[in-house]
Amino acid sequence: MPPIAQYVFNGVVTGGILALPAVAFSLLWRLLRFPNFAVSTYLTVGAYVALVLNHGVRASIEMAWLSALVVTGAVALGVDRIAFRPMRSRRPFSLAIASIGVAFILENVVRFVWGNDFRSYDVPVSRAMSVAGLRIGREQLLILGVAVGVMALAQAFLLRTRLGIAMRATADNALLAAAKGVPTERVIAAATLGGGALAGGAGVFLGLDASIDPLMGGGLIISVFAAAILGGIGSAPGALAGALIVGIVEEVGMLVVPPTYKTAIGFVIILAVLLVRPTGLAGART
Amino acid sequence: MIAYLTAIATLVGVRALVTLGLNVQWGMAGLVNLGAVAFFAVGAYTSALLAVGGTPLLFAWPAAVGLAAAAGAGLAMVALRLREDYLAIVTLGFGEVLRLFLLNEAWLTRGANGVTAIPRPLHAQFTGHYDVFYLVLVLATVAVVYLALERVRRSPFGRLLRAIREDEIVAAVAGKPVFRCKVQAFALGAGVAGIAGILFAHYLAYVEPNMFLPQESLFVWLALILGGSGNNRGALLGSVVLLGLLEGSRFAKDLIPFLTGVRLAAAQQILVGVVLVVLMIRRPEGLLPEKPGAS
Repeated sequence: MPPIAQYVFNGVVTGGILALPAVAFSLLWRLLRFPNFAVSTYLTVGAYVALVLNHGVRASIEMAWLSALVVTGAVALGVDRIAFRPMRSRRPFSLAIASIGVAFILENVVRFVWGNDFRSYDVPVSRAMSVAGLRIGREQLLILGVAVGVMALAQAFLLRTRLGIAMRATADNALLAAAKGVPTERVIAAATLGGGALAGGAGVFLGLDASIDPLMGGGLIISVFAAAILGGIGSAPGALAGALIVGIVEEVGMLVVPPTYKTAIGFVIILAVLLVRPTGLAGART
Repeated sequence: MIAYLTAIATLVGVRALVTLGLNVQWGMAGLVNLGAVAFFAVGAYTSALLAVGGTPLLFAWPAAVGLAAAAGAGLAMVALRLREDYLAIVTLGFGEVLRLFLLNEAWLTRGANGVTAIPRPLHAQFTGHYDVFYLVLVLATVAVVYLALERVRRSPFGRLLRAIREDEIVAAVAGKPVFRCKVQAFALGAGVAGIAGILFAHYLAYVEPNMFLPQESLFVWLALILGGSGNNRGALLGSVVLLGLLEGSRFAKDLIPFLTGVRLAAAQQILVGVVLVVLMIRRPEGLLPEKPGAS
């Protein structure tokens, strides 16, 4: 069995994790018209929330994951209220800069409390399965399954529920939606809560798949950005597809370039997409 | 204490130059650059590597400024076609990829070990009070760059940059070469950051990739926004206040016993983040707002 299949499988798992923040980032960008650099740091927040519960009160990883969803969503909502809401009418770049400031604060609060050490969850050790020559971890399957399920739920929410439809209307044309009676601020609050929860949950997955440290989320911002741009800003299925492509290319790319250049691969993807379509792929017509 | 203050003042001078460079790009022309530290690094590494290789500083320095400016022009030609929010990630990514390059291409950059024993200019002539000499050199450079950029700001070119910043479509309709001016402004700012890099490298006599983390670009932004973007005095003031903030919080270590090194660094960075966010919300024009219609 060529090792490349193993890299592709690992890439699919990475992509599955990446898809959650990528969808959050993409939808929030479309809704609020600025790239929120704090989204990838919400992964770190979620991972540490779960760590506290998992190590502190011996919560099972499932309970810890659910709590991470809730707490990270609440953190994202709080950040929006304090930092972004007073700036809604400013040019997008001011908000982008503020979001970098927020990311920096969150990351360093984590560092202040837990330090720079790499940590991991207390979960029962399980042996990787071997299927057709591939090494497949139980956690990897679990992560992939839950990630796909969550994405399907998110998509169903956007297409089927009143709030989801209102969200898409506001993303499309905020003024028109507001004129039609869509409560803009409530839609933004719901999207922020949901986006934060998606990213927080992904943080726990990332902690299970790799390890936990203060930079784990922030270091992914370029990959998240690449996935969102590849999928077309504002499209949930697009962001999922983009995340899978970025995940696979990053992992398979390790065969060609040293692993330390992983971030550079995401950057090259961004450049390639933007040079072909300077406004980004489909969905970015704003 | 004098030695400490001299060192701090030298580093303020270096930071002030990077901030002045960013002010050309963002303050005057409205061009987003989240990778300011990259051009600083290009200047530092080019000069350091050439000097260590035996090139006289008289040649190494112009080469370093030139390469930093060329890197700025190159990135600008690709990136300035993009929308502002995409430009943010492209410049941020450029800074990070450059750092990875410095870290990995050891054949050229000596990798994680960094470049050591960088020659210090006129060291033999000023033994004994070399740090004072170097401070004067840095401050003189800041003064020259400041005066030069003030001239640029008042020149027709500077006025055109402000016009582009406010509304580039109007400037284009008026027949101005908008794209060329943006590339020039970006290259000029990158060149100024390159000068700062040179002074930094030959002051410490040592550079390594982790001196050029992405967060350094954020510090430059904070200094610029704090002081007031668009005017060069603001860029200078912001650099001084920022370093006061960073150095001042260092003394907190003596006051609060449980602060370890990691915690102190984290607390400093939390402070930087909070000041940045509060400024963006409350006072985006900074301490010294740009005067309307100043030319």
